[in-house]
Amino acid sequence: MSSPAKLLLVDDEQRFRTTTSKLLAARGFSTATAGSGPEALEQMKENAFDVVILDVRMPEMGGVAVLAELKKLDPHVEVIIMTGYASVDTAKEIMKLGAYDFMLKPCAIDDLVEKIEAAYDRKTARKQLK
Amino acid sequence: MERPDVERTSGDHGGTKAGHVVGSNMSPWRDICPYAPSAVLTASAVPLGLTAGWGAAAAVAVMAAISIVSIHRLMQRIHSLDQQRHLLEEQIVRANKLSTVDELSAGIAHEINNPLAIMAQEAQWIHHLLTNTGLRDVKEAAECEDSAAEISLQVNRCKEIVHKLLSLARQMEPVYQCIDVNGLIDNITGLVEREAVPRNIEITKTLQPDLPLVYTDPPLLRQVILNLLMNACQAVDRDGAICVATLSEDGYARISVSDSGCGIPQDILPKIFTPFFSTKPEGKGSGLGLAICRGIIERMGGHISVSSMEGASTVFTIHLPVDNRPQELPSSH
Repeated sequence: MSSPAKLLLVDDEQRFRTTTSKLLAARGFSTATAGSGPEALEQMKENAFDVVILDVRMPEMGGVAVLAELKKLDPHVEVIIMTGYASVDTAKEIMKLGAYDFMLKPCAIDDLVEKIEAAYDRKTARKQLK
Repeated sequence: MERPDVERTSGDHGGTKAGHVVGSNMSPWRDICPYAPSAVLTASAVPLGLTAGWGAAAAVAVMAAISIVSIHRLMQRIHSLDQQRHLLEEQIVRANKLSTVDELSAGIAHEINNPLAIMAQEAQWIHHLLTNTGLRDVKEAAECEDSAAEISLQVNRCKEIVHKLLSLARQMEPVYQCIDVNGLIDNITGLVEREAVPRNIEITKTLQPDLPLVYTDPPLLRQVILNLLMNACQAVDRDGAICVATLSEDGYARISVSDSGCGIPQDILPKIFTPFFSTKPEGKGSGLGLAICRGIIERMGGHISVSSMEGASTVFTIHLPVDNRPQELPSSH
């Protein structure tokens, strides 16, 4: 069964983007991908996404800066941070900026799907409150 | 005994009297030699009525004595400052090392976890293809599935190692509390006994009943003792003994964990606390446990050592300061 949630996966590792989006598609999610922060912001201006899955360490523009810009474009977008390494300080900063949750790489697709669904539920509940 | 008054004794004895000479020239010496007043007393005890010549000679002798005492005290002070300098240098070197490990670990974690993430996704995709497409009917599907599962297993193993490496680097600053170390040991041994008893490993405790409360970080100390006890269980394997002992020693609490296991060869002992060094079979230990233990104990102001007799026993000994609260350095005046 396909999910109505629109996802954007932002990661500088091309192979990670390809395989993760295939795995997500197999779970019924439609996923767009971006290989950098600026590319993600461009896509965000043109399309409405419900949940963004965002890498922290990327060249050009780091995930924390991208998160802040994403929230300016759409304060209601839910963002799940994926990182190979997160210090306590980074985690605090991410949460302050309004990320929904964060995951450590590598992760099981089941865990990622669980977080995406929870984030999407929150987004939907917020819409219904309006 | 009433303290003789220098000025009074130097009163009316013509010429330069011993007491007057000493009393009038003492102030610079008093600055560096707190013993000066007692030297003055000695000088004032010079029989009254001595001529200026004798008085001067006595004064010179007293000054010489004062000089010796002062030089001795200066040497002590220089030695003490030298020790403090060495201590500070060691702390700086250690802090730099930790900072390097921290930066290195963050870099390694990122560099390793990203390729691991790709491997994990690929293995999951292979699993998906093998279970949800026509590939499941291929003869070798089960073997491919087994390989994919093994990749996932090994990815998780690497993930654990990176996680432990980060634990080593990120060791948090201790939060100090006064604790009953014996009570803490009682709790942990109760936990380890569940593992030890079925393997016929007896855990005995020789705890000093009046061991002072120790100002330390309880969860961190618990982590260290648990690690040592689990290592001891693995070293003994079956049918043996582990002993945990505590003792109060010169402001330190000594905690030792000994086992009747296989022992550690002498040539390996110096490497035992080195990160990534392990005597366990491949895949059974990351070689970070003892390195983490040493990091924790040193951060709490203590030290950990090991001694072993190959084929007979191993003893890990921790010395923790009973009160590790920062103390003011002695004032320089």
